[in-house]
Amino acid sequence: MIIPILTFIIMVIVGAAALGFIAVSAMFLIWWERKVSAHIQTRYGPMRVGWHGALQSVADVIKLLLKENITPAGVDMLAWWFAPFFAVVPSVMVFALVGRDLNIGALYVMALTSICVLGIFMAGWGSNNKYSLLGGMRSAAQIISYEIPLILALVTAVMFAGTLSMQKIVEAQKGMWFVFQPNMAVAFLIFLIAGTAEVNRTPFDIPEAESELVAGFHTEYSGMKFAMFFLGEYTNMFIISALAAVLFLGGWSGPFLPPVIWFLIKTYGIVTLLMWIRWTLPRLRVDQLMGFAWKVLTPLAFVNLAVAGWVLLR
Amino acid sequence: MMNGLIRQLSDIVNNYGLPQDFVVQASFYVLAGLACAFAFGVVAMRNIFHCAVSLALCLFCIAGVYLFLNAEFLAVVQVIIYVGAIVTLFLFAIMLTSNIKDRSIRQANSQALVSAVVAAAILSFFIYIIMGNPWKIPASGTAAHAGPGLNDIGRALMSSYALPFEFISLILLAALVGAIVIGKVKK
Repeated sequence: MIIPILTFIIMVIVGAAALGFIAVSAMFLIWWERKVSAHIQTRYGPMRVGWHGALQSVADVIKLLLKENITPAGVDMLAWWFAPFFAVVPSVMVFALVGRDLNIGALYVMALTSICVLGIFMAGWGSNNKYSLLGGMRSAAQIISYEIPLILALVTAVMFAGTLSMQKIVEAQKGMWFVFQPNMAVAFLIFLIAGTAEVNRTPFDIPEAESELVAGFHTEYSGMKFAMFFLGEYTNMFIISALAAVLFLGGWSGPFLPPVIWFLIKTYGIVTLLMWIRWTLPRLRVDQLMGFAWKVLTPLAFVNLAVAGWVLLR
Repeated sequence: MMNGLIRQLSDIVNNYGLPQDFVVQASFYVLAGLACAFAFGVVAMRNIFHCAVSLALCLFCIAGVYLFLNAEFLAVVQVIIYVGAIVTLFLFAIMLTSNIKDRSIRQANSQALVSAVVAAAILSFFIYIIMGNPWKIPASGTAAHAGPGLNDIGRALMSSYALPFEFISLILLAALVGAIVIGKVKK
């Protein structure tokens, strides 16, 4: 009797630790983003709360928790209420992979990131607001379009490794990281661009382009519901970066330091790169964005895939 | 160290947790029940957007049921293609349709009786097939129990099932060309 109770407690602790990591990581990334953006624009960013504003995110979270939860008139209750959960739960499910190896690990991550769009849709539809609706629709078009080059880039890495298991993909890069091979470097570039679009970040953040859509799909959300969207977005960014690190940068392998540290260094390195891109480049127009996905990125990904096949079978 | 710790913990959970059969059965019934409930929601909800979301959840639960058959690849592909792409396109089409938001759709039409008869016929046909099959279940732990891997599926698609595979791609190509012809703006 004692052992099932003990295992239950362990499961709860592991689950809580995963959730804690997700929340702390998102909070750190928000602070980090504000600092990176500030220094790119020769500002300081948050400085008051804690060392260099390190506790600013904590203060923000407390504020969001205590904020009034406003429900606008005429919302579609079902879609409105459940949308924030759809935005977060798939990202949390990805963390079930931690510490275990799945035969289809890489595809599992892709599947879960691809269903986050449902939450954006429900928020856009449920908010009873034309800006939200437009944001939701743009997001859907964008995510479907950029998923194709994203998966094709992933398939290129999978072809080189000969497996979908994350563990084995990392082992396949023991000698040399995939990114140093010429056509894997192209795949890495495609993956980064499509990944940036997939997580709705500038230059691909037209679903929430504030100059035209207020804030897109989450315009009407406040308090904790808004925070859920934020949490989902930053967790997704972490996941895409982690996937890029595993597929192209040798994952958690590296000398001297323990694997976890290497993994975090590489992941947060890519996250920082994405932030750098965000605060350097202007936003694309909606037609340019779709044109780029279908006329440039997808054909390039296909050509790259074919070249990868030729290299492997040569 | 972290990795080792996590692995140890998951080992403990796997070896000493609740009886495996109980957990597996309970989660199967929960998933199957949810799939049925959402499937009912697809036809019973009054708002067409809710119907589409219900369809997405139903397909997601069915992907979960595939996991019980050790068909991991099928489950993941089901989520990527059906939930991530097809239902997303449904939702997209619904959002593009004007004046659909406040309209509640009827759940029955004049052909309800005929469709009920057809549905009952299909159901009894499936029950007949399912009951008639002896269902040889391979013992757990054997290779057959683990189900076909990704390599087996790929090899089968490219060898014994090459013709149906090519045929499907032809159908998809035809659908693609058709969609472009319909969608093209006439000058």
